[in-house]
Amino acid sequence: MKVTLNWLKQYVDFNWSPEELADRLTMLGVEVEGVQKIGSEFDGVVVAQVITKDKHPNADKLTLCRVNDGMGERQIVCGAHNFNPGDKVPLILPGHSLPPKPGEQPMTIKVGKIRGVESHGMMCSPQELGLGDLVQGILILRKDAKIGQPFSEYLGRTGSDVVYDLEITPNRPDLNSVIGIAREIAAVTGNLLRLPELTQTSSPGSQPVSALVSVRIDDADLCPRYTARVIRGVKIAPSPDWLKSTLEKVGIRSINNVVDVTNYVMLEVGQPLHAFDYHLLQSKAATHPTIIIRRAAEGEKFKTLDGQERKLTSQTLLIADEAKAVALAGVMGGQNSEINPSTVDVLIESAYFKPQNIRATSKKLELRTESSYRFERGGDIGICDWASQRTAQLILETACGTLAEGVVDAYPKPAEPKHIALRHHKVTGLLGIELRPEEIELYLGQLGLKVVNRKPHPVGAGIGASEPVSFLIPTFRVDLKREVDLIEEVARLHGVDKIPATPPRGAIGSNPYDAVHDQLADARRILTGMGLHEAQGQTLISDTAAKLAVAAELAPLSNPLSSDMNVLRPSLLPGLLDAFRHNLSHKNYDVALFELGRTFLRPKSAPEETNAATHEERRVAIALTGQRQPIFWTGADREAKFDLYDLKGLLEEFFDQFGLRGLSYTRRSDSTALFLESATIHLGKSHVGVLGQLLPALAKQYDLRDAVLLAELNLDLLLARRNPGKSFKPLPSFPAIQRDVAMLMPEATSHEAVLQVVKQAKPANLESVELFDVFRGKNVPPSQKSMAYAFTYRSPERTLTDAEVNTAHEKLVAQLKQHLQATVRE
Amino acid sequence: MTNAVLAANIRISAEFSKRDAQAGCPFFRCPPYRILYAPSSLSMTFLDQIEPLKQSALVELSAALDLASLEQARVNYLGSNGKFTGLMKQLGALSKEEKPAAGKAINIAKVELEKALAERRTVLELKASLPKDPTDFTLPGRRRPLGKLHPLTQVTEDIVRSFRKIGFVVADGPEVEDEYHCFDALNTPADHPARDTQDTFYLQNPQANAQPSMLLRTHTSSVQIRVMKKQQPPVRIIVPGRVYRRDNADATHNPTFHQVEGLYVDRNVTVGDLKGTVQFVFEDLMGSGTRIRFRPHYFSYTEPSFEIDFSSTLTRKMGKEWLEIAGCGMVHPQVFENVGYDPEIWTGWAFGFGIERIAMIRYGINDIRLFYENDVRFLRQF
Repeated sequence: MKVTLNWLKQYVDFNWSPEELADRLTMLGVEVEGVQKIGSEFDGVVVAQVITKDKHPNADKLTLCRVNDGMGERQIVCGAHNFNPGDKVPLILPGHSLPPKPGEQPMTIKVGKIRGVESHGMMCSPQELGLGDLVQGILILRKDAKIGQPFSEYLGRTGSDVVYDLEITPNRPDLNSVIGIAREIAAVTGNLLRLPELTQTSSPGSQPVSALVSVRIDDADLCPRYTARVIRGVKIAPSPDWLKSTLEKVGIRSINNVVDVTNYVMLEVGQPLHAFDYHLLQSKAATHPTIIIRRAAEGEKFKTLDGQERKLTSQTLLIADEAKAVALAGVMGGQNSEINPSTVDVLIESAYFKPQNIRATSKKLELRTESSYRFERGGDIGICDWASQRTAQLILETACGTLAEGVVDAYPKPAEPKHIALRHHKVTGLLGIELRPEEIELYLGQLGLKVVNRKPHPVGAGIGASEPVSFLIPTFRVDLKREVDLIEEVARLHGVDKIPATPPRGAIGSNPYDAVHDQLADARRILTGMGLHEAQGQTLISDTAAKLAVAAELAPLSNPLSSDMNVLRPSLLPGLLDAFRHNLSHKNYDVALFELGRTFLRPKSAPEETNAATHEERRVAIALTGQRQPIFWTGADREAKFDLYDLKGLLEEFFDQFGLRGLSYTRRSDSTALFLESATIHLGKSHVGVLGQLLPALAKQYDLRDAVLLAELNLDLLLARRNPGKSFKPLPSFPAIQRDVAMLMPEATSHEAVLQVVKQAKPANLESVELFDVFRGKNVPPSQKSMAYAFTYRSPERTLTDAEVNTAHEKLVAQLKQHLQATVRE
Repeated sequence: MTNAVLAANIRISAEFSKRDAQAGCPFFRCPPYRILYAPSSLSMTFLDQIEPLKQSALVELSAALDLASLEQARVNYLGSNGKFTGLMKQLGALSKEEKPAAGKAINIAKVELEKALAERRTVLELKASLPKDPTDFTLPGRRRPLGKLHPLTQVTEDIVRSFRKIGFVVADGPEVEDEYHCFDALNTPADHPARDTQDTFYLQNPQANAQPSMLLRTHTSSVQIRVMKKQQPPVRIIVPGRVYRRDNADATHNPTFHQVEGLYVDRNVTVGDLKGTVQFVFEDLMGSGTRIRFRPHYFSYTEPSFEIDFSSTLTRKMGKEWLEIAGCGMVHPQVFENVGYDPEIWTGWAFGFGIERIAMIRYGINDIRLFYENDVRFLRQF
């Protein structure tokens, strides 16, 4: 909302600089989004009177004038013809600049010759002054304009002004008005708030308004109050300059005097008003019209002021006469009853509508107006009549006419006065400062809250006796609902900057998740230590991408922004593929990433209860592509690309470091939607993850060029199974004996199978088994492979002899030969 | 051979080689040294041969430029058919009187030669192990690069660390929430615009045609409710996590982003405590020249509510004295009632801020989308 410095000063005195005002408002909780200084743009523009108007001696289309600028006469060459001697016009004096057009440099007027004749200034058109484009030619001023008067003064813009663009929080609808802001300033300065005086309640000898209109509220829930006044014999005309310029400064287009007044009062006090052409309101009988506030019929059509025909539902509240709808209540008037140049009698509506209903209508029709904005945030039901009177008064001032006596005020259930009790110790307890009860009452009093039914202070009771004090809440403060709301007001006016900060103190927190947080940090530390960068992907991905990882069980959004982001990720892998695509397209070909994050599944077997239907799971995923090592300038292996065993090695190291033992890997016999070749990872009987190589076709689709290796683990499961405890094992004190064996065995025999046999054989003193070579090719028959293992024997108690190791080892080798159809290569 | 003799030998030998190097001339041309080894009573013939042979052996050893020629030199003199070995074989032919002195002399010489051989070998072996071309120490080495934590993780960890210093623990809750925890319990009215499908993502209801009721949490404040419902006061938690708003992605918006929420509930908690804690955390996080200020504001779940602005060299670099960074306030009594805490006994405060925003200010990042693109050139920078 916009207010101006000068407008505010009409209601309250303060001597802050424009910058200080912005600061003060900010610290009161009214954020200032913009400050714009205006008015100085008319420097050097004065009211001048044309004395003579002749043809330019050297140019047919120009005129040569003499004008009086209040100081003396000047000769002016002018291109326009729409004025006559005696007219008063705005004149810009040499050395001054016209207001710049948006994006242009200001033009400075100089004394200069035009077609051989000197011109000492320039008479201005409204366009040149930036006042709109309604008139062709020079702007002709009112007859009573004072010659020599600064033009800004003539416009009612006394000197310069400052426009503030304010952000009003939704809880404070009362601040959507100049008086509302002025009230805050009054409260914080302690100065008086001056409200405009309502002098004229009716014109002498006028009819009572009840003879001219009736009001019938059909739905008092949606419209608790409706007031109507009538002014007869108005003259619709352009608004006076003060009114026009006030509205223009805050960004409202001037329309005519009556409509402008309704807008002005809305901005002034926050109450939206509407003016109807009284004669366009029809009545069935030949008597006076009746305003009916009713719901629209389902499908009823209505043409609003903006010329749009709108289809309504029974949820829409209408203002109607007996024959037709005349306004969308609280949102916009109708074309059929609007003020027009031939309007003579005016009906002023000032009402209160239920905020929720106005919001719903405004949203449904996608029609947001200054009026709906204020009503949907909650108006002031107490101000309806005052605002109506103020409007009537200003219409009489600007458009003449006679005001019918009284008001039709349909207010079936007047709002109960609202009281809130405040305990002194609650204020000091919550704010952490000592305030005297009088200070608190003063602050609240300045905001218009009155103390009611205070109990007398018991004799001897000190300051801060805990007897609650009850305050009457003004109707415009819809946000004040309970004690704590009053405490906030005290904090605001006292100034939160005056509340001293107290150092952190108090209880030690506890929450079971705290330890989990550290475990996640452990996982991240291990993964970054292995050279993987941490990624953070979008939670929302496309269903197409999601289906690569999971065929069903997706959790879709009901209101996605786009089909690219319409489901919650069931897996972190599609996100990592997106990251790869981004990197590859930026020529980062070697990328190793991990992500630790949540995934979302909706298991089919989930119970009916919607709350449990989405299963959140923490996962960690790894993705590798491109070169294994950073670029180096020599070496045969330097350009080696990541392969599945890089990924497997990362996982093994991760499991080891993270405190997980006994993982097993089972190759899946078929390709999947995502993987060319892959294996599931089990910890005991639990499936904890998967690793594999991305389908080449998919890699192509994602514009990836090298092999892409992916793994994903269920972190929640791993956390539960983690054994990060460490205990010391004495270092071996006796030497080890190593025996190497190279065996030829069928391709299908896995490393795991070899280990199984070793495990079964239980050779005495065997300390470790390590695979050190796998070979296919020369001297190895087709569909066979050679696997070479190093067996280390050691006893913790003594030095082993060759003989006893040989015995154990030969037994083992025999077992291997037997169970694996292996041939030992000698 | 006694240790004394060995020691004397070493000294002499050092003397020889020094002189050798200085004079640059064969030693045998300097007769005064011969006196040392030539008692006049012994046969001059045998003894006279020792010294010249030794000298020529020493010359040959020092002339060897590689291990192969050194070995050749060794064979020539000390090998089984070597010249020096040959001379030693003549010892037996000497008379009884001559033998001890001659034996001693030739042994001294042999030890000297063997020592010279070992020394030369050490030099040549070192020479042999040096690479043909010297290493260019300015060439880049083989890097073992560390991975980096995502900048959002780093900022989150810093925030968590600050809070933990003052007794907070980390709490967590689901990202898929119901309206009760995300809105109702937080005192957000049913028709509040934030609940709109315009602004909040709702999940499809698994039951066909039913109204969606589950949503993606719009703030981490929902965890406040979950924790308070489970746990009696006092409460002291910090909640980092992902939140969602239905904004199209642009330089300052992403539908997914991160927040941190702090909640403290105890007896006699005041606005002063809130200010003190916020001050501590922001100084810890953004550096000690950081100033903060509180501005009254509005949130449905706190009363009074404030926005927090901060000011530091970072904000001034951005051309602003004050920059809005967080929202906070005293927990609304209605919220306490909703979770079953008695607002007459307990007071508390909560505050929350956006992690992306802090990271953007801290590192000077100008586009929020960078956080979610995972470009390694970006990730490596933090």
